[in-house]
Amino acid sequence: MRSSNVSAYSYIAPAFALLGLVLFAPVFYGGWYSLQDIRYGAPMGFAGFKNFARLLDEPDMGATLLRTFIHTGFSVVITIAIALGLAVWIDHLAPRFAFLVQIIVIVPWIISTVVAALLFRWVFLNDIGLAAWAARALGFGSFQPLTSPAGAMSLLIAISVWKRVGYAVIILLAGLKSIPDDYNEAARIDGANGWQIFRRITLPLLKTPLLLVAIVLTLSNINTVETPLVTTGGGPGDATRILAIDVYERAFVNFDLGGATAMALLMFAGNIILVVAYVRFTKWKA
Amino acid sequence: MAGTSASALLRPKLGLGASLALSLPIAALIVINLLPLFWGMLTSIKPESVIFAMPPRFVGFGPTNVHYERVFVSGFAQSFMISLFYSGVAVVMALACALPAAYAFDRFDFPFRQSLFLLVVASIPLSLGAAALLIPNYVYFVHLGLVNTPYALPLIYAAHQLPMAIWVVKGAIEAIPRELDEAAIIDGATRFGVLRHVMLPLSRPALGAAGTLAFVGSWNEFVAGSVMIDAPWLRPIQPLIYSFIGFFGREWGPLTAAATLAIVPILIVFALLGRLIVSGLTKGSVKG
Repeated sequence: MRSSNVSAYSYIAPAFALLGLVLFAPVFYGGWYSLQDIRYGAPMGFAGFKNFARLLDEPDMGATLLRTFIHTGFSVVITIAIALGLAVWIDHLAPRFAFLVQIIVIVPWIISTVVAALLFRWVFLNDIGLAAWAARALGFGSFQPLTSPAGAMSLLIAISVWKRVGYAVIILLAGLKSIPDDYNEAARIDGANGWQIFRRITLPLLKTPLLLVAIVLTLSNINTVETPLVTTGGGPGDATRILAIDVYERAFVNFDLGGATAMALLMFAGNIILVVAYVRFTKWKA
Repeated sequence: MAGTSASALLRPKLGLGASLALSLPIAALIVINLLPLFWGMLTSIKPESVIFAMPPRFVGFGPTNVHYERVFVSGFAQSFMISLFYSGVAVVMALACALPAAYAFDRFDFPFRQSLFLLVVASIPLSLGAAALLIPNYVYFVHLGLVNTPYALPLIYAAHQLPMAIWVVKGAIEAIPRELDEAAIIDGATRFGVLRHVMLPLSRPALGAAGTLAFVGSWNEFVAGSVMIDAPWLRPIQPLIYSFIGFFGREWGPLTAAATLAIVPILIVFALLGRLIVSGLTKGSVKG
């Protein structure tokens, strides 16, 4: 028995070595590092919670948190609303259409954020772009969202939604497919209309996929560095400076690695709460 | 699948209202999701004078490759090749670690099996936490001397894709009847023999799905690539394109040419294995 345990561990050892090196060990090392006095990236001796305390003193932190909350909240809610509508619609399409539509829907998700944001800017944002030309031709005024704080935040939310709707559609569609047709048939025979079926049967049975999608979307929106970096750069002013961009610039623009590591660990603790929720809702069994 | 097509057959022929309800959302989706792609590719082959023409020109210009030439003299080929290398190694490493782990978690009984698998499941959303994990990851890799080496990114990408790969492959192994392992063992196969001759061939679709997702994720990754690497010859493709935005500014010809080239491997993978991406996502039901 013992030797067979050893052999079982040898099958999972490579996986855990890799996860340990990249996911687990850095958290412990970062914990130690964040308690050090960091000069030019090098630990210079124990400093207690100085790096953490410094974060609390910063007057802008509350506003950054609020912006993060707005960006993530709106992005997640809008993404799920659109994805749910699309998934229900695709579920009713004939199979060959359904597959085609799924492929179109998933395209922004399989393209990198950098390239997607670049193309999005060229077509929809540029004052000499296609959308600006169409807007002028149709008699609308000029469209320059990047010049106003609310416009820039709306734009950031729009791109976050555009990028991730496809992912949410695929997951929700898988959830819809697992609902037996008989349920809907039975309800229809009992005289339920489309909305009632959606409200009383589809939604409750979609609860788990909806929660999982919400958690994953929340995690990826909170932690997205590239979307704001490539589209708005955090501006104008600080209008789209969310937590992820703040921690990134703290580390790699201002080179305050002590403060950035402390902040990253706080974000990590927040992520863990979501991860625990995720694990609870995943029907995992070993 | 059979149920869906049966109900499609039962559906009456579409009237005008219904076909409008079908075609309007599809038209909107095509404009919002595919137009930027198409317009970017078209821009990349237009001569400078046509790019900014008003009204926009869709046809009637001589296609040019000047923008592609400028992109290539700016170090594009090197980044393209190194990104292929990073993503390829990451896919192979992730699958090579995932298959035995998934097999052990499904078929063996050993102490801490549940808790260790729980750790894998928790790592799926955890590896999405780019901003939170990136900085501890960076200071740790500085400490190990891995920053700015060819090893950093394959290791990071493989580890980020691994939990999902284990999950997807384990799902496939669950579906393989245990009688097959038992028969093989009676025939004298070892555990490794079962892995090699039963699990590997029968979990190929799942390995394909997991590998496809891992490739797309690694190829598209930007933040770790820009933070861990300074040397131009090691710089992956996404950070290079980001630096082009500053370098070329409003020269949309070279910018769209670089974007087009960066999409090509993804489109090839997608055209060949699009079904696997959808099925991998569905099986995993998790990553964002």
